[in-house]
Amino acid sequence: MHTVLTRGNATVAYTLSVLACLTFCCFVSTVFLDYRVASNINTGKVLVKNVPDYGASREKHDLGYITFDLETNLTSLFNWNVKQLFIFLTAEYKTEDNVLNQVVLWDKIIRRGSNAVLDFKNLNTKYYFWDDGNGLKNNPNVTLYLSWNIIPNAGLLPTVKSFSSHTFKFPSEYASALI
Amino acid sequence: MLNLNIQTHMDFVGQHKAEMYSRFIITLFGVVGLIWGAITQQFSQTVYTLGAGFILASLLTIPPWPMYRRNPLNWQKPKPEPSSGGSNGDENKQKKKK
Repeated sequence: MHTVLTRGNATVAYTLSVLACLTFCCFVSTVFLDYRVASNINTGKVLVKNVPDYGASREKHDLGYITFDLETNLTSLFNWNVKQLFIFLTAEYKTEDNVLNQVVLWDKIIRRGSNAVLDFKNLNTKYYFWDDGNGLKNNPNVTLYLSWNIIPNAGLLPTVKSFSSHTFKFPSEYASALI
Repeated sequence: MLNLNIQTHMDFVGQHKAEMYSRFIITLFGVVGLIWGAITQQFSQTVYTLGAGFILASLLTIPPWPMYRRNPLNWQKPKPEPSSGGSNGDENKQKKKK
């Protein structure tokens, strides 16, 4: 502490230590919060096609085509340790080959301060609903889940599943590939 | 050439004071900022408040203000010149080192 430089060094170092401590307090204040809320998902059009999957094996695979409604209010999730939410819709189902298939169909980023009350009607999926075989046709039990990643200022990056889900079945006939 | 004789040191009591003040100011602003950030639910407010504390502490405790220089050390008076025999002995030692 005997020169200007050592005093400056001590002040900067102590400020950074305090900043780390405050950030940790912010993390502790939010780490035990329950980030689950309810949502309302519904399907509109549900079709299944059998088309060649050029992205993979070129064999004919099942391609689902659905539209969906989504209604939820995520405003309560935001606090001082949430910068943005990454919300995504997944379809989970069981086939003969795999006990659990998970396909991400749609996602969206909600920044802090922007509108977090979602009410979408007849949305198309953002990503292809490919099965890795022929497991979609006549599948009686496909479930849509809404989940979100919480991007914090400091701390964990939790993935939270919404309370609600929606289960639907695919038709037993392939739709014409032109639709 | 201009010869500015600026004293930049603090005495020992002053150094202790400066350190205590800067610790106190930064901690106080940090705690207040944490509370304010929790109330407004904006962590950026906490960081800005801490930044204000840093600037205030820097201005108050980094420059050697007169308040940190009120307890100068009482140095002993310089001794009179040593005898010629002693100075010869010192010169011999320095020659041996070289």
